Amino acid sequence: MVRLPWFLPWRRLLRITGHELAGPYALDALEAAERTRFERHLRRCTTCPAEVRGFAAVAASLGLAAATTPPPALKGRVLADIAALDAARSADAEIAAVLSAADARVASAATSAGGTATVVASRRDGSVVFTSTGLPVLPPSSVYELWFIGSAGIRPAALMPSPDPDGAAAVLVLASGLSRDDAIGVTVEPAGGTDAPTTTPIVVLTPR
Amino acid sequence: MESRQAPDPFSPPGPDLGELLTLVACGDQVAFETVYDRVAPAVFGLVLRVLRDSAQSEEVAQEALLEVWRTAERFDPARGTGLAWVMTIAHRRAVDRVRSERAAADREARVASAAPPPAADEVAETVESSLEAERVRHCLDGLTGTQRESITLAYYSGLSYPQVASKLGVALGTVKTRIRDGLRRLRDCLGVSW
Repeated sequence: MVRLPWFLPWRRLLRITGHELAGPYALDALEAAERTRFERHLRRCTTCPAEVRGFAAVAASLGLAAATTPPPALKGRVLADIAALDAARSADAEIAAVLSAADARVASAATSAGGTATVVASRRDGSVVFTSTGLPVLPPSSVYELWFIGSAGIRPAALMPSPDPDGAAAVLVLASGLSRDDAIGVTVEPAGGTDAPTTTPIVVLTPR
Repeated sequence: MESRQAPDPFSPPGPDLGELLTLVACGDQVAFETVYDRVAPAVFGLVLRVLRDSAQSEEVAQEALLEVWRTAERFDPARGTGLAWVMTIAHRRAVDRVRSERAAADREARVASAAPPPAADEVAETVESSLEAERVRHCLDGLTGTQRESITLAYYSGLSYPQVASKLGVALGTVKTRIRDGLRRLRDCLGVSW
């Protein structure tokens, strides 16, 4: 901490460097570093917040005065974006719930096709999160299909999205309907998937 | 300071924007659609004014509206109106884009300044003839020429105040003072609620 000499009118200096920036701040006319400094000042300053609020309202009016009808297609794109975000957010929440379940169990193994497959299962919730890395990319006519395999029979669990060509990013699949004694298997099936496996599993995982 | 309430031509009947944003914060997509209908013209128009390129403006407006959806829980009615909050997001995004474009242009071409900003009276003339635009134009007319110039260069052209100062060939302190005095005058003229 730098001590300022007592003889400098530093209170006045601080006020000048602080308060006077409320205008440029409200107009987004500060460079990044100065913006950060002013925001710090804003938290301590007693008069600045009201001034910034007033100036921001003026800025909003200036913006409103520029209103123009947007291209009609914009609305569809924005609404599609938020629907996708919303879906991703709830999927994320479900995935997080499985991963943090008190009874979560993990199993991991190399597959006969290459790459590694991992499942995290919560038997209480009947949910599994399946992830893989390095699985070969399939031709468009085929798909990796996940199965629940147990005393209740072999039931389709989920279709995997196509793996990343560089094999870098992990593929994440959420599936529910897991029974107490189920293992999770993966087969290669015709695009669109099938109701019963038509090929030998490339991997079977039993989380315990 | 007392807050002055003026008839807001942009408040149609129904829940106000702040209430709608509270619903949006809870993930209400129907409320968001209403928010979109209310603010999209202002968001798109402002971004277009700053960027002056329709395709880029659509992109940035889309990002800004998505940010409204994603961050609605941060909207705090105690710190300003819903419209001010939305417009702040839109303006900041437009300014970020215009500054990074200018930085890129400067790097590539070593050009000191980008496209010339519009003259103050050009801005006033291109403003759409809505009630709000009329009010703003009237109030901008009440500023001194140098105040108007400083504010429109900063807000509508996205220049930082040091850039405004060097463009006008005046001291930094002069620009700060012009902006502050001009905004105070506009605030009183517009009678904005704050």
